[in-house]
Amino acid sequence: MSQWLEQVIGEAQQVNDYLAPVRQQALTQLKQDGWPGRRNEAWRFTPLTSVQKRDVSHSDDVPDYQVPAIDNLNAIELVFVDGKLVTDTSALDVPAGMTLTTLSDASDAQQQAIAGIYGQVKPRRHVFGLVNDAICQHGVFIDVEDDAVIDTPVRIVNLAASNADAHTRVVVRLGDRARACVIEQGTGTVDSFTTAFAEYDIGAQARLEHYRFAMFTGDAKQVGGCHFRLGESSRLNSTMVGYGSELSRLDVDIHHAGEHARAKMNAIYLLSEGELFDLHSTIEHAVPNGTTEENARGIVGDRARAVFNGRIHIHRDAQKTLAELNNRNLLLSRRALVNTKPELEIYADDVQCAHGATVAEIEEEALYYLLTRGISRSKALVMLNFGFIQELVTAMPNEALREWLLPLLSERFVSMEVK
Amino acid sequence: MLKISDLHASVEEKSILNGVDLEINPGEVHAIMGPNGAGKSTLGYVLSGRDGYEVTGGDVKFEEQDLLDMEVEERASAGLFLAFQYPVEIPGVSNMEFMKESVNAIREQRGEEPLSAAEFLKKAKAACKQVQLPADFLKRGVNEGFSGGEKKRNEIMQMILLEPKLCILDESDSGLDIDALQVVADGVNSQRDGKRSFIVVTHYQRLLDYIKPDFVHILANGKIVKSGDASLAQQVEKEGYAFLGKAFEEAEA
Repeated sequence: MSQWLEQVIGEAQQVNDYLAPVRQQALTQLKQDGWPGRRNEAWRFTPLTSVQKRDVSHSDDVPDYQVPAIDNLNAIELVFVDGKLVTDTSALDVPAGMTLTTLSDASDAQQQAIAGIYGQVKPRRHVFGLVNDAICQHGVFIDVEDDAVIDTPVRIVNLAASNADAHTRVVVRLGDRARACVIEQGTGTVDSFTTAFAEYDIGAQARLEHYRFAMFTGDAKQVGGCHFRLGESSRLNSTMVGYGSELSRLDVDIHHAGEHARAKMNAIYLLSEGELFDLHSTIEHAVPNGTTEENARGIVGDRARAVFNGRIHIHRDAQKTLAELNNRNLLLSRRALVNTKPELEIYADDVQCAHGATVAEIEEEALYYLLTRGISRSKALVMLNFGFIQELVTAMPNEALREWLLPLLSERFVSMEVK
Repeated sequence: MLKISDLHASVEEKSILNGVDLEINPGEVHAIMGPNGAGKSTLGYVLSGRDGYEVTGGDVKFEEQDLLDMEVEERASAGLFLAFQYPVEIPGVSNMEFMKESVNAIREQRGEEPLSAAEFLKKAKAACKQVQLPADFLKRGVNEGFSGGEKKRNEIMQMILLEPKLCILDESDSGLDIDALQVVADGVNSQRDGKRSFIVVTHYQRLLDYIKPDFVHILANGKIVKSGDASLAQQVEKEGYAFLGKAFEEAEA
């Protein structure tokens, strides 16, 4: 068992609200499953000792904080600091067709909608998701009406500003034929632990543009997830970016619940020093005619480690599924490590499915060629090795995010030492 | 301009250069000939600073600077250019992006303003024309899918754009037919201005019919065993390397 988990369970038992049934289920399962050991496949490469022995900590006051600026994004911003929502949601200028509320302020009708998504889209698979189910009281619900087209992105920021345990939640319902853009961003360096889970229920023919920037570094530990239920003929376009920290883990689930849905997921990770980033994705094709395209690409330097586990599960009835999964890695040093594992489980016979994983090293000959032409080492490395990352950034639909992210990632790449 | 003194170098602990002495003044063209395995390409790699080519003795001065103490890119910025025998293919990086980055890096080192996109394009197109490469080669990945001759012409195109002080041409004639050879030689000759110097490394005398050397050196077993004027190359063409007699045999031993 874990001292941290025991303390969390103790606290969660005090929480009593309209989500009690799902919270109870989570608690029961947590007690039953206990703390995952190293033999637990889901955590095989990701040590949890830093959390296991942790003392639960809450920050009383909201410390000074600064939300990283993204020029020209013009988003509706919701900010959590150390797990507390510091934005007054009632003061936000929300476009017609969308409503936005905290989980605790939800009306009866909203509570009903939330209860249909909270802990329902996310599989009850791992310990921190269950913890978040049981204990999270700081969350937001975004509801987009049928047919509403919302151009203004919603940006949700988790800031780790002091040594605290933070548990936040995002619940999104996208009505039939609705369109929206949601950006989840986490950042911080201080010793802290954040669990941030988001669940999206995407209606028929609806379109979601989604981003998750998991940019915790240093001692800021984070475990989180993005979980999507796709309705008939819906579209999901998601880009994830992972930095590494002492513990950084992201779980993604895309559940094709309606036919003819299309999901595109791109993930980028850039890791250096002793950082760890672990991306687990599971694509469930439960019905026929779904399409998934997943690309995860990363650069790992110094002593850092990337873990990628990409599972595609095509159920017996999911004929005519089209699924592609690709993971490309570049190692910058001899001590850098990637554990990559694409998993395909196919029970239907008429499907097109492809997967691949590659791990490459710096091509010394090409690097030398560029150097002999006077190009600096750092610039040459970017030219040779950043293209496959840049491609995924360029594919992001939002221009302001592209312009913000590209220099950020190329700077991070240049600062990663090649050894 | 360049003074190589008693240069020794090895690759994977195997000694390849065994005491090379060579002095090159501004405007001179030196041809280096020799049998396979003599160390001709190694000399170019050592001068350009390639990893894995370990200098075990001697020194090299390039315009009074200690060349061996400089990074690869610093040598390039100082005016050294190596035309590769086997230019590297780099898919995903366009020739244009590559050369613009390169030209501007070297300009910056010289304290010059970077060229604008339009200025660069104009120069690059002119350089392509000079070596008879269609301008759309600028848009293609560096050397990606180029024929052997196109790769060699692309090297000369780069040389023209970078305006180096000392050019080392490593078997720029290998694998070329007569027409392509003429184009490469014309490109090189157009850059001879009385100040720029050249080291022309070649296995055959043929290239030297087009690029007239001031000096010819025979490299064998990692040493220059004979030097002379252009007539030495003709002698090699007629008689092979055997005429070197004792000196060559010793070097081969």
